[in-house]
Amino acid sequence: MTGTLTAPTPRGGRIRYHRVLFHVTATLVALLFLAPIAWVVLASFRQATDSLKPPLPPWPTDGFTADSYVRLQEFGQSILHYTGNSAFVAIGTAVLTIIVSVLAGYGFSRYRFPLKGLVFVLILSTIMIPFQSILTPLFLLLAKMGLQNKLIGLVLIYTTLQLPFSVFMMRNAFDAVPKEIEEAARIDGMKGIAMLTKVMIPLVKPGIVTVGLFAFLNAWNEFLAALVLLTDQDKFTLPVLMTAVRYGRFGSVDWGAVQAGVMVMMIPCLILFLILQRSYIRGLTAGAVK
Amino acid sequence: MNRMGGTAREPAGLSLKRVHKSYGAHEVLKDISLDIQGGEFVVFVGPSGCGKSTLLRLIAGLEDITAGDVYISDTDVTERDPSDRGIAMVFQTYALYPHMTVAENMGFGLRAARRPRTEIEQKVRQAAEVLRLTDYLDRRPGQLSGGQRQRVAIGRAIVRDPDVFLFDEPLSNLDAELRVGMRIEIARLHQELRNTMIYVTHDQTEAMTLADRIVVLRDGRIEQIGTPSQLYDDPDNVFVAGFIGSPKMNFFKAVVQGADRLRLGETELPCPRTDAAIAGPVILGLRPEDLRVAGPEEPGFPMEVKFSEFLGGTTYVYGEIPGGTGCTVELERSRQARPGTILTLTADIADMRLFDVEGMRIR
Repeated sequence: MTGTLTAPTPRGGRIRYHRVLFHVTATLVALLFLAPIAWVVLASFRQATDSLKPPLPPWPTDGFTADSYVRLQEFGQSILHYTGNSAFVAIGTAVLTIIVSVLAGYGFSRYRFPLKGLVFVLILSTIMIPFQSILTPLFLLLAKMGLQNKLIGLVLIYTTLQLPFSVFMMRNAFDAVPKEIEEAARIDGMKGIAMLTKVMIPLVKPGIVTVGLFAFLNAWNEFLAALVLLTDQDKFTLPVLMTAVRYGRFGSVDWGAVQAGVMVMMIPCLILFLILQRSYIRGLTAGAVK
Repeated sequence: MNRMGGTAREPAGLSLKRVHKSYGAHEVLKDISLDIQGGEFVVFVGPSGCGKSTLLRLIAGLEDITAGDVYISDTDVTERDPSDRGIAMVFQTYALYPHMTVAENMGFGLRAARRPRTEIEQKVRQAAEVLRLTDYLDRRPGQLSGGQRQRVAIGRAIVRDPDVFLFDEPLSNLDAELRVGMRIEIARLHQELRNTMIYVTHDQTEAMTLADRIVVLRDGRIEQIGTPSQLYDDPDNVFVAGFIGSPKMNFFKAVVQGADRLRLGETELPCPRTDAAIAGPVILGLRPEDLRVAGPEEPGFPMEVKFSEFLGGTTYVYGEIPGGTGCTVELERSRQARPGTILTLTADIADMRLFDVEGMRIR
């Protein structure tokens, strides 16, 4: 040894081919997913005549215009009204789903009662029944209760459909909370509802966000049940409205207005998802490790 | 003087009267009766599954009692909620509320009891000073180390100003070095607060160093209750003798011959005096630290050295006596013992413990 220190050869200078490949692939995949959305955005700014032409090239050939949005706004009640309908149904479903699934999940996770396992499996097994097959009985049931053609009826149906998955999610979320924390809270004087709201709910927040987001998005986008159950045009939610936007009385579908409508529908979902995505991902992976 | 709370009240005692606990047909605790004086530090110790944690949880009220009563300062608390028993508990896993800051964690019990905010703040600050947590009051548990978290858990217990502190293996999740530090901290805390403390552990070193009195449990029964030195010097049975002390006591099969001779293999040793006359087979218990290499004229039994552990101050030598029974000896540091050599061992008659073949002590 000479006693002089030589710095080790830096490794950063070399080009990492696998990293380049990774970025190229990732960009391509991202483009693939973004393309339809971009297409919709561009199409919504076409002229009325332009929007009936073949969809290539995707951009407006006769210049940009917001005419489609104006036509959408002028159809039936204002678009704000239908957005309100959709928001009521989606938020109502999310809130109701959260309330019921938190209580049920807590019960399934922490209380002992007869036939607990069987009841839980029964709830889960309803996921396997396609809901289209029970649409007729559901319709009759709502009619008997005087809830057909009412948004609240739709909320009840969506909540019912959302619950099996949500209860399952919430039970897992509660299961992941260590028993000792609950015991410490009992010693600190927490019981019943106070225990749930002050100690447990903050700990299962990611689960609640996941459940709420799923319920909101599914209710916001749901089409078939809304189409069957709502006959009054005033009560239409956005997806149903999209099929109703036509020229004149018996005209053909106004594709431009439909694209504009899709844009209107998409924006709240995007915003909500971007705000909540961190908690949402934590919720999905909760209990996966440890 | 009590540095916390300021009310210099008498520390409360606790008693268990014929406590039973079963899960279905499985009986976990069998007829436990125990009186704990106010201000005493009592350690429940025993192998895993002996029921020591269950007993603590019964005292805390976290488990329902199957039969029997729990009294804290002469009040029957058997049917009371955990929060109304005047207890506070420190868990092995800390069990802090992850969504609250250290200060909020410590003050949570008082907030739940709707105490005035100034009082809560003052008590939290005092507890934080005692535990040197003042700089961490605004952090969340996730930002703290294991030792700090356990201090917060202890702080949460202090702030409740309980009659009885309950510790459920509080040091088991800490690394060895921190464990020693926290052990000293808990001992200091007991000196300072003078509350009654009950501490559960499976580590006999923790039990020996912390306890005023140790309760040794096995299979849901109390094997022996006593001060650390009582248990060490005067164990009631083979189980307690083997459980207390490290390395563990050596047990040899021996035969009492005549009035005062004890035959151990080929060797004859003097037999300790006992109140009852004994004859026939017995178990001889000798602690590694009480064994020594016999002098030239002294009677002793041979042990073949298998291996030794040098620990600095002392050396533990592990070997076998004729018949294949394992034997551990503590030797002074100057002494070397190579594997294969034969040592002739002996012990003072006062250090010999005799047990009958059932394992009960013969005194």
